[in-house]
Amino acid sequence: MNQTLVSYLSQYEFYDSLIGLFGKHQGILTFFIYLLFAAIIVGLCATIGGLGTYAERKISADIQQRIGPNRVGPYGILQFLADGVKMITKEDVMPFTADKFLFYLAPMLALVGVFATLAVLPWSSGFIMADLNVGIFYLIAISSLVGVSVFLGGYASNSKWSMLGGMRWASQIISYEIPVTISVLSITLLAGGMSFGTILSQQVGTPIHWFIFHNPFAFIAFFVYFIGALAETNRAPFDLPEAESELVSGYHTEYTGMRFGFFALAEYIEVFVVCGVGAALFLGGGNLPFNITIDIIPLQLVQVGIFMTKALLLYYVVIWVRWTFPRLRVDQLMSICWKYLTPIAIFNLVGNAVWMVLFNGKSVADLLFGGH
Amino acid sequence: MTPAQFDGLMPIVILMGIAILMFAGGHFVSVLLAPKKPSHLKETPYECGEQPVGSAWSAFNVRFYVVGLIFIIFDVESVLMFPVASIFKELNDMGNGGYALIIFLSFISVLIEGIAYCWKKGDLDWVKSFQVSTKK
Amino acid sequence: MFVQVLFLLSATLTIGCAIAVAVTKNIMHSCIFLLGSLIGVAGLYATLGADFVAVTQIMVYVGGIVILMLFAVMLTGGKDFISRAHNLLGLTPTMGNKWTYGVGLFVGAVFLLTNIKLFSNIMKAYPAKTFGSEFPSTVSQIGHLLVKEHVLAFEISSVLLLGALVGAAIIARPRKQ
Repeated sequence: MNQTLVSYLSQYEFYDSLIGLFGKHQGILTFFIYLLFAAIIVGLCATIGGLGTYAERKISADIQQRIGPNRVGPYGILQFLADGVKMITKEDVMPFTADKFLFYLAPMLALVGVFATLAVLPWSSGFIMADLNVGIFYLIAISSLVGVSVFLGGYASNSKWSMLGGMRWASQIISYEIPVTISVLSITLLAGGMSFGTILSQQVGTPIHWFIFHNPFAFIAFFVYFIGALAETNRAPFDLPEAESELVSGYHTEYTGMRFGFFALAEYIEVFVVCGVGAALFLGGGNLPFNITIDIIPLQLVQVGIFMTKALLLYYVVIWVRWTFPRLRVDQLMSICWKYLTPIAIFNLVGNAVWMVLFNGKSVADLLFGGH
Repeated sequence: MTPAQFDGLMPIVILMGIAILMFAGGHFVSVLLAPKKPSHLKETPYECGEQPVGSAWSAFNVRFYVVGLIFIIFDVESVLMFPVASIFKELNDMGNGGYALIIFLSFISVLIEGIAYCWKKGDLDWVKSFQVSTKK
Repeated sequence: MFVQVLFLLSATLTIGCAIAVAVTKNIMHSCIFLLGSLIGVAGLYATLGADFVAVTQIMVYVGGIVILMLFAVMLTGGKDFISRAHNLLGLTPTMGNKWTYGVGLFVGAVFLLTNIKLFSNIMKAYPAKTFGSEFPSTVSQIGHLLVKEHVLAFEISSVLLLGALVGAAIIARPRKQ
């Protein structure tokens, strides 16, 4: 059954004393542990999302040879706090033609969809809130709530720009979900399971044991996943839904103040989540480069550090791509998805299946150097 | 299953609850702090300074619907493939790899036929299929 | 303990949203309440230990069907585009008055209670099956069933989906004048 954070912590001695403290109210203890870690993870992700906006501006400034934000705090690093305060204190304007109920609901749905994905994000081999059997499949499924929310955001505003942006993003999300899902499917095939624990336990060791270097097809699958993830999170060159030069600001044209802030927060956290999933599926996640038998909490924290480094490197690439490539046209967007990425992803899936049978599941490194 | 085994689902509910609470809290603080001076012009939908003409809720092109339909078919196919893919390695280790491969490939080949058909008939084109078909 | 809480949450969400779907007159709001109801059903599956089915429910219905419905509503232009064009906005679809509704409610309640009484023994005789102990998870069991006992159904379902795809493509294609 599912390994969880609590079942991981229960191997330590301090957990026994906690059990003694709570007596027979085990459920409450479990609840508080989850609540504590959920609060920590949400806080961490909100900080990463906030710093993401700062990093975005600073990196873009670097690419365009500007200075970027440098007034608030050292190197302007507290800019995101200033932005947050500004958003809270801004007036809340709602168009009088808007659908009020859906206008309130849309940012909330986006937050719910994004936060729910954090439950299965593998920070390290032990620190994963719930290592569900259906882990990666669950993550793909629940993140589709974001698609509904942006559509609603666009619809409820009753502004033409918002409506066009919302429709575009909803169709873009569902289209690019296909290549992403099929790429994830090929990793499921290689790992023999959908849970992050299973996937990560197969990638222990030096980089040649990562799934990206497992075989040529998995190598291509990583890029298919990454391009699809860029499109799903509405990043350039796929940022048509909020293309500033044609749609003003897309689905959140009419959103002001805190509600806009929640949309932006959900968007930046989602980028981090897809980068983290890419790191976990293809780049070995938080695995240490050598096999260890002892399991202590400092080592777990090192794993968290490795995972964060990989995910943030991918995050950097996402921002780098944004400020490098021009935007696509809508018809190009759709033809890239359906005529290039989807066939390539299916080809990768077939290739992976054939590779599994032909080489008995061995990776290229195993074949070259012997091993396992 | 024993009740304790369901605890893995608890974080999902907790995180969703945190999201809702966070939204409500942010909203509450914003109501306390933010100014509230509505005016008719401020609450008009933004159209670059022009008076908005009509509602934005107008009929949209059918192509979005077609994309949605094709998506659902692929979605269901991938849902069916997930359980088979996750036991593929196990079957392969037991020596049934060839059998699993044949089953898997024959399933995928039908999927490929579907995408090939849509491609050939122009349903995957965003613009072209509609321009061609509306011509006499 | 948590299972009961999850069940209560899911059941409330399912039933509450289902009633809201029927009561709301705004079709967009109906779609969103339906979304809530479908998520509640996924929660109910989860309380039964069917995690794969629960996630499939979210994946197919929330991620696919609801978005497709929203697109379908947008084909007509959202809230009251068609109703206004055909002067239907003031009308409320109704089939009777308070008296007929009362009778209908009474008959429905009697029917429901009789059914519960009739079927409760059968339900109790066949308790919900849990997955086999020889499998590590439900996913694994579903996979084994799909490639062994139900392999024909698995293969034929792909043909069914192909038919659905071709049919969807043909129906949605604009006809030549």
